[in-house]
This record gives sequence, structure tokens and C-alpha cells, in this order.
Amino acid sequence: MDFVITQLSGFSASLFTLVLDPVTYFYLIPAVFLGIVFGALPGLTATLAVTILTGFFGNKFPLDQALIALIGAYVGAIYGGSYPSILLNIPGTAASAATAMDGYPLTKQGKGGQALGLTTTASFIGTLFGTFCLLIFVWVLLAISKNIASPEKALLALFGILLSGTLMSKDLVIKGWISGLIGLAMAMVGLDPLLSEERYVFGWSYLLSGFQVVPVLMGAFAIPQIMEGARHAIMMAKTPKVGRIAPEIGEVVRRMPSILRSGGIGTGVGALPGVGEDVAGWVSYGVGKAASKEGHRFGKGSKEGLISAEAANNAAIGGALIPLLVLGIPGSPPAAALLGALKINNVIPGPTIDPALILHVVAILVLASLTMLLMGLFTARVFITVLRIPQTVFLPVVMVLTTIGSFSVGGGINDLFLMIGVGFVAYAMNRMHYPIAPLVIGVILGGLFDETFRRSLLISDGDLSVFVSRPGAAILLLLNVALILSQIPAVKRLGARLRPGSASGPTGGA
Amino acid sequence: MDDKAVLRARDFWTALVLLAVSIFFLIRTTDIPFLNSKAAGVDSAEWYNSAALVPFGIFGALLLLSLVLLGISIRDGGASRALSAVGIGFDADEIKRLSAIAVILFCYIFGLVPRVDFIISSALMITCLIWGFHGGSRTAMLISSVAIALPALYASVMHFGRDQWSKPLDDDWVTLAAFVTVTAVMFWLARRDEAGKTVVRLTPVVAVLCPLILVLAMAFGFRQNVPNRTGLVFKQIEYHYYVTVKPLFQGK
Repeated sequence: MDFVITQLSGFSASLFTLVLDPVTYFYLIPAVFLGIVFGALPGLTATLAVTILTGFFGNKFPLDQALIALIGAYVGAIYGGSYPSILLNIPGTAASAATAMDGYPLTKQGKGGQALGLTTTASFIGTLFGTFCLLIFVWVLLAISKNIASPEKALLALFGILLSGTLMSKDLVIKGWISGLIGLAMAMVGLDPLLSEERYVFGWSYLLSGFQVVPVLMGAFAIPQIMEGARHAIMMAKTPKVGRIAPEIGEVVRRMPSILRSGGIGTGVGALPGVGEDVAGWVSYGVGKAASKEGHRFGKGSKEGLISAEAANNAAIGGALIPLLVLGIPGSPPAAALLGALKINNVIPGPTIDPALILHVVAILVLASLTMLLMGLFTARVFITVLRIPQTVFLPVVMVLTTIGSFSVGGGINDLFLMIGVGFVAYAMNRMHYPIAPLVIGVILGGLFDETFRRSLLISDGDLSVFVSRPGAAILLLLNVALILSQIPAVKRLGARLRPGSASGPTGGA
Repeated sequence: MDDKAVLRARDFWTALVLLAVSIFFLIRTTDIPFLNSKAAGVDSAEWYNSAALVPFGIFGALLLLSLVLLGISIRDGGASRALSAVGIGFDADEIKRLSAIAVILFCYIFGLVPRVDFIISSALMITCLIWGFHGGSRTAMLISSVAIALPALYASVMHFGRDQWSKPLDDDWVTLAAFVTVTAVMFWLARRDEAGKTVVRLTPVVAVLCPLILVLAMAFGFRQNVPNRTGLVFKQIEYHYYVTVKPLFQGK
């Protein structure tokens, strides 16, 4: 209990400092607004919002201020995705795809305003729940992470890439793994971290420092969206009439157990390396459907269904920041963009991270969610109007934002060449149903994996048992192997046969 | 033909490309010292510390997974459909549209941004992308692609080398002319199109204001680097910022 009180007092001090500083509002209000707009416009994503702002703030602004803008945009965008989901049945972001299941039927019943009010409140509580978990668990994990050495780090980085590849694949799981391997391969370019040996430079000096994170992020997330938006522009339908948008406090209080359950699921899923808010929304929706008394009404305009998805995807934000701050492994694609921002500011997340920075992040999350709530309740009609802007008009503007952002971080034209090259490859991969998040996570974690894997072997004089002799490493190795084996069809069949009640032999039940 | 069948046919080709890429990089990895790494006659690293170790693992795994993908594609009938246009879901219209988008982005990044004023080149790119793809008109798409390809080609041919990127301004004038021309053509062709009139009217406003505001904010507000500071428009802005506006605010 003392620990929780100490944490809360540290957080209060940080929040107080932030609230009293006028600069906070200068960054926070436009960033949350921009985030909601990015989320609301189909084709623009939370990852893109954070990536573009990373390009803008670069390393020329104090990180404290940049984080206000980046986290504000992150929170706003995850919430903003609910607008087109509820009003038009078009998810603004992948994270709000589950929201459309019940949000749109509610709009068709003439309850669009109620749905938006409920979503706003549930998102607010969800974000706060995730933030509270971040405040508590990050310190517990940080204490544990002090015992994490190179073998565990290498296996954890690998697990993050594999898990992201497994869960983000819409088609074959191996496509997710291939995507992660391509990302890892890209991270190998340049001077190696231990011996400074040149790798795949092809005589081009620009490549000696490896692929820069921001152009890769911009290329991987922005260019495919721009190309797809121009190729297959979504013509926005006229937005339906929306009634009064109110916080629905009575409804929220009545459904608090569902919100807290969804918040818990969202935080847990968000904390898984590389798994984002979209998976959190769907998992929570699925659990809600199974657990709720009104599960049969899910998909037909159930308010509980709406809450299950929205509270979870916003709670995932806090969850996604836990592995990011503790281990330097992003919990979601927008968190990967945040990691890019930390990296270009020479902040190395992990056991050595400045505790004040963590409290600062938590305080920003609380303020951002409050700003989101107020904007959602009082300026919602502005965002509804934004929905009318055609994709073909705003995507070229995004291209300019991306170009200038990518250029200003590195200050070189080569970064733009890299961005467009990665963008074309990412678009082709998108069309073939290869997920892009594992690629980006591979690029970001590749250097860490390479360095820690070889350092582990160096310490043990090439003895591979270093990966099983330490308990933490052994568990992580087991998880990696289990994850790979669980996707092999023969193993899946064997597992199905061994599962009680699913025997299909002559004595098995039908 | 369903989407999955098309996907498997495409997977066949992707698997072959991935196979080729992984073999190529496995061969390239052999250039990195692995089992016998000596520098000036002294052992510099063991195999387990070699810079080639992880790349060998990555490209080996990639090779293995591309073989698995090839196997899945062949098993699901992808190989038999891979040689037919219908099998891989080839759509000529879609290819043209995608090629036009790729040409616009390629010309913008490789041809214009390094050599031409950022505000002018962005205005041209925005106009081409909005007009070329908003209404779905093939004529608009074609004109847009040509309108950006010509100045990009001119700038690339006339000022190919890095040393010539910033100083000469003839490519800036050519790009500006292309922007004015394509805007005029857009208005001319859209004069009877009531439905698209709003977007057409909005396009030049967005095209000019958006890069202008962004560049001003980045260069003078955020104090960040912007491309091509010696461009036709930016040079004037920068001159007047330091010579006219700043002294005015400083009361000089």
C-alpha cells in the first residue's frame, strides 16, 4: 500500500507541475484535436499522427514538450476513430473496427448522439484505467527488469517480433513472420553495433549509419495510406443527424463492471509486445459477448458491446507504454513511433530510464484523456463536420507533412529516398496481406536483438546454453518455441487431438 | 475467382522473389568475416561474435519461410494460376491508376523536392493528386501524371548532380509553369462539372496554402530544416523575414 501511495504522490507532483505550466496547453490542446481529426478521417491512423508529429518535433524540441504533443495525439486518435465507426460504419482506425459493430446500429436507431456520448465517457475511463495500470505495473516491472540481461533482452525482442507477426496477420501467420524478418534484415544495414563491421552498405556512405527510424516509420505507415486512398478513395456518405451528445453518467455507472473488465483486457493486450489497440478492441468485444447477459444483442446496437470495444482500445494505450518504458519494446504500432521519438532524443527506455520521465508520461496521459473528454463532449460537431472532407483532398496534404517531417529530422534528401522506397515496398506488402507493424517493430528492435544476442554468446564463449541456464531466458525461449510450434499445422492437429472432449477416433464423441 | 485464390497465385511470385532475395543476401553475408575473422594477422572475433551471425540466421529463416510460402501456394493451386492474368487478379485499370500514383510520388520525391522550391513542387503534387484521383476521370489522371513528370524530368536532366540542386532556378520556373497550366486545365475541364466544382475550387487554395504555412511554421516557428532553402519562393520569404519583418518586430 505504501508503494501505491508513494507512486500516487509522485504522480500528483508531476501532474501539478504540468497543469500549472501554460506551455502544456499550447501543445496539448492542438495535439489532441489533431489526433481526433486523424482518427476520425478514414485513411489516417493513430500511428501516422504520432509519426508525423515525431517528424515535426524531431530532436530540436525538449522531449518533455514533444511528449505532450505525441501522447496527446495518440490518445486523441484512438478515440477519434470511433466517429466514422459509429456514424458511417467506416472504422477511422483499425482500433475502432469493433466499435462499428454496435455503434452504427445505434446510429440507425437514431441514437448516434447517445452512442458518441457513451463512447467518449468509456474511452476516458478506459484511458485512465490503462494509465493507472501503467503507473503501478511499470515500477514493478522495472524492479524485475533490473535482473534482465542480454539473453533475456534478445529473446524478448524476438518474442515481440514473432508475437506481433502472429497476431497482426490477416492471412497466413508466416506472412507476419516474413514481415518481421524483413524488418530485422533492414536493421542489419550499416555498421554492426559490436565490431563496427560494414553490412550491406553497397558503397553508399549514407547507409553506414543504418536505416533511420523516422523515414522508415513515415514510409511504412504514410505512403501506403496515401497510395491506397488515391487508388480506392472512400466517398464519405452524408453524416446522419446526431442528437444531444451527453456523458450518459447513469448508463456509465450501471455498466462500470463492463468498463473495468474491458479496461483490464485492453491494458493486458496492449502490454503484449507489438500487439495494438485493434486486437485489444476485438478481444474485449469477444469476451464481452461471451460474458455479458446481453451478449445476444451484441452486433445489434448493444451499448455494452460499444463500451467493451471502446474502453479496451483506449486502455491499451497505457498498456502499450508499459513494455516501451520498461524494456524499450513497443506494445503497439503508435508506441513504436513514440519509441522512435525517444530514440532520436537519445533516451533509452529500460531499467535505466529516468523515473521522472515515467511520471511525466503518466501525467500527460491523464491530462490528454481529460482534454479528449472535454473535446468529445463540447466540440464533437466539429469532428462530425470533418468527416465530410474527402480522402483525395487530405491525403496529398499528408504527403507534404510526411515529406517535410521526414526531411527535417535527418536533414537530408536521402531520408526522403529511403521513405519512398520503404513506402512502395510496404504498399506492395499491404496488398499481399503482409502486416506492416511487425516490419517496423523488426526495424526498431533489430539492433537490440543483434547486439544482445551476440553479447550473450560473447559472455558465454559461444555456449548456447546461456539461453536456457537463466530462468528468465529459459521461460522466454520456451515462449518463443511454443509460439512457433503453435502455428505449425501438424502441431495444431496434435493439440486438437489431445484436447479432452475433442477426440475424433472411433470412441470419440461426435 | 475468390480473393484467396488470387492471393495464393500472387504468393507464388512473392515466394520466388523472397527466395531470390534471401539467397542474394546470404551470398552477400559471406563477405562479412564469419568463421575466420582476422585483422592484421590477429584473431578479431569468433564465430559467435561475428557480424554475420545474426544476418545468416535472418536470411536463413527468410529462405525457409519463403519455401514454406511457395509450398502453400503450390498446394492451394496458386502456381497453376500464377501465369494467367486472371489468376493473379490483374486489372489493367487498377495498374494504370497505381502507376499514375507511383509516378506522381516518385517524380515529387526524386525529381522535384531535391531541386525545386518546396512550396512550388508541393503545390504541383497536391494539385495533381487531388484532381487526378478525386473524380476518377482517366483524362485528369493522365494529364496530372504528365504535368508532374515533365518538370521532374527537366529538373533531373538539367540538374542531375547534387552540386546543381540548389542554385539554378530555371527548374523552379518550369515547375511553376506546370502548376499554373495544370490548374488552368483543371478549371477549364471542370467548367460544366457541377458535382466536382467545390473540390476544383478548393484545390489551388489547399495546394498553395498548405505547403506555404507548413514551410513557414517549420522554418521560422519550429526552427527545423526545410528542403531547398534557395528555391524561388523560399529564398524571397527568408530574405524578407530577416531584412523586413524581423527588424520591424525588433523596432529597428
